[in-house]
Amino acid sequence: MTLSVTGLSASRSGRTILHPTSLNIETGERIGLVGASGSGKSTLGNALVDDLRARGQSVAHVPQSPDEALDPLRSLNFHWAETERALGLAADPVRRQGIFKALRIDGGDLRKRPWGWSRGMQQRFVIAMALMGAPDLLVLDEPTSALDPVVAARTMDLLDEHLSGGRTAMLLITHDLGLAARRVDRLIVMDDGKIAEDAPTQTLLNAPQTPAARSLSAHRNWLSLPC
Amino acid sequence: MLKLEYVSVTRGKTATLHDVSLTLAPAKTLAVVGESGAGKSTLLAAVLGLVRLSRGSVTWMDDAVHRCHPALVMQEPRAAFNPALSLRRSVGEPLKARKLTLDKARLERLCRGLELPPDLLDRRPSEVSIGQAQRVGILRALIAAPALVLFDEPLSALDAVTQKHTARLISELQVEEKFAALIVTHDLGYAAAHSDEIAVLRSGRIEEIATAEAFIERPQTDYGRTLRDAAFSLGALEGAA
Repeated sequence: MTLSVTGLSASRSGRTILHPTSLNIETGERIGLVGASGSGKSTLGNALVDDLRARGQSVAHVPQSPDEALDPLRSLNFHWAETERALGLAADPVRRQGIFKALRIDGGDLRKRPWGWSRGMQQRFVIAMALMGAPDLLVLDEPTSALDPVVAARTMDLLDEHLSGGRTAMLLITHDLGLAARRVDRLIVMDDGKIAEDAPTQTLLNAPQTPAARSLSAHRNWLSLPC
Repeated sequence: MLKLEYVSVTRGKTATLHDVSLTLAPAKTLAVVGESGAGKSTLLAAVLGLVRLSRGSVTWMDDAVHRCHPALVMQEPRAAFNPALSLRRSVGEPLKARKLTLDKARLERLCRGLELPPDLLDRRPSEVSIGQAQRVGILRALIAAPALVLFDEPLSALDAVTQKHTARLISELQVEEKFAALIVTHDLGYAAAHSDEIAVLRSGRIEEIATAEAFIERPQTDYGRTLRDAAFSLGALEGAA
């Protein structure tokens, strides 16, 4: 089923931070939403999540900061059980252990509150919650920003594996085109609260049309920068 | 020359640095890479004399490091400034601390090099972008002409394009100013593109030190390979041979 949203927009203090935006997402599609700081990536991600959920679609959202996803007064056990209940799943310690092992958080004490874990572990816990069901769409906002490279690479590989062959579509929000390019089939470039460009990954990397996409593409690698 | 010889730091019962030996010559850049908890921040603290060494020594030109007035560029650009002060006053602090007077021509030259418009310094930290705040952080570090500058994840708060731009400005200023740069980062792409040597720190020990090219091409340890392969898989080393 294609997910479509039309006319999403947002403003803050009278300033438009997201101009009316429409978007179609195919079943199982993997999309990278890229752009500079302040270009409106997370705003579009949040608006998309709200709109689809309001229309009854199941969307898992991993926000940029685990603080937005976790209640500081509740144990991690509570969060996990609440997610299972919300998804109508029976408690399944084996499934939980499997996901936790893959994300290397199986050593964490679930009786603790979120702040009893490191930030990187909290972020992976939120990703683990998102992987529990089989939503129509998984929105990941800078999922690896608090992770070390080794853990980040493993987490991205796990996501690839988890999504492969399934019906869940993925929207990967990141400022790093180099990261997104390896993981998605389609890239959407945001600039100044608008979609500047929307194209298959290779097309956008090889022949970016807009200044925003050209800048991102030219700066995607550390070792082959233009002079 | 910055010289660390057999530096060990013990916190509580556990050693956070273990027999770390490094050298860094003027005008050169050494990147220390490793994961969280590897001891990167403790290493910076040890160089700055902020922690007691349980063993070993840290020297600059065979003298105590604090005598060369090392500067530090921090990770979170806005949090690194007093929010109540104008950026201009914050930039003046290192001079005040050393009872030096401001060399206006130098300030202008550094501002040009860092692409900071002259009136930007009259704003407060919350009134500039994160990228601009970090460039002011670099300006503050360099204003008193230090021989040694330490960078603690200087680019991690910036977006991918701003990161590369800022890294280039740092390297260009280093050519003029000839400071030695010790960069702590977990971004191997940055380390590979902008340092002369890379040291891999793991659990408080140096696993290997090599020139950036040699490390990317052929890490000598299993852990070095794991780090390099992870960076490749995240797209950070694209373009390398």
